[in-house]
Amino acid sequence: MKFSLARQALILAALALVPGMGEAVYFRHKISWQSPIPPSELATVAQARAWGENVIWADARPDEDFARDHVPGALSLNEDRWNELLPQFLAAWSPGKKIVVYCSSLSCNASREVARRLRKEAQIPDVFVLEGGWEAWLKSK
Amino acid sequence: MKTHILAFTMSISVCFAARAELKFDKTELELHPTPADKQAVGHFTYQNTGKQPVHFKSVKASCGCTTAQSQKDEVPPGEKGEITATFNIGDRTGTQVKTVTVETDDAAKPSTVLTLRTIIPQQLEITPTFVFWKQGEKPDPKAITVKVGKEFTVNHIKVTSSSPDYQTKVEETGKGEFKIDVQPKDTNSISASTLTIQPEDSQKVFYATARITNAPTEPSAPVPPKGPVAPTTPAGQTH
Repeated sequence: MKFSLARQALILAALALVPGMGEAVYFRHKISWQSPIPPSELATVAQARAWGENVIWADARPDEDFARDHVPGALSLNEDRWNELLPQFLAAWSPGKKIVVYCSSLSCNASREVARRLRKEAQIPDVFVLEGGWEAWLKSK
Repeated sequence: MKTHILAFTMSISVCFAARAELKFDKTELELHPTPADKQAVGHFTYQNTGKQPVHFKSVKASCGCTTAQSQKDEVPPGEKGEITATFNIGDRTGTQVKTVTVETDDAAKPSTVLTLRTIIPQQLEITPTFVFWKQGEKPDPKAITVKVGKEFTVNHIKVTSSSPDYQTKVEETGKGEFKIDVQPKDTNSISASTLTIQPEDSQKVFYATARITNAPTEPSAPVPPKGPVAPTTPAGQTH
């Protein structure tokens, strides 16, 4: 009986594998992998707060969200108006300062993109993404 | 016994397949806007292939830069329609992947994720977009590299500085490659300039920033965080 059940389970698993393999082959170029942010590029609210005056907060959310509320002292830096906002943001930066970028929540992607562009395009070091984003900030208040 | 379990499992699978009523022609679209486009619009067409009407519960985009809407709230059997997803390009670059989650009252498939992949053409790749000198530093020129995108031809670029305190010199370093030397007159005081970079015969404008900054800031004494003790820098920090 045990052998029979195991065999049935194997048959079912094999049957499930066929469409799975087909989908993997068919969509092989269409899977959008989102690799996790390396821990070295993440900062928690507690860590960012501990940096005190030495941190610049970058709000990567849309203008409306920033206007509604934001981390005290944060500067708006979103990709909708990147070319306009970046020079204003850079005016607040000086060597040695850390930048913490946040967007709405854990699942949003805007902070990651803004951080990437600051590192790669502007070549600014010490740029971090806030873990949990604005939601995490609100919870920590 | 064996036959019964197999038959039961397969019949369940067949039942679920039969109840999947709202069928999208494609759940992933790739868009190729032109450099002048402000938006990229994707049309996800569908048909209700079932025998019951399907009602939309919600249509939500993954970010504020994308809006999505259904033309109707109810889709009668056999009827076709589309979900329109509009991605606002803004100043974004490269490949942008945004998703739209469609929720319906279709019990077999209550949620469908539609993916909009937008390939934004990059006419010029500028690195870095920011050059700076510390106050009091020797005002040596700093270089900005400009590479023309593969699908574009640019023979000349024009660079303009918003401040007369910064001088720029453009040099062609290869086919589709330029070097911009930026030099401040002095670094005695804090100042900034926006550099406007424009390819010949193009309306598109690119930007870089040159700035004299404060001397490096001394790290302030860390304020102990509340709760569990956290390191002052993230673990494994390499910068």
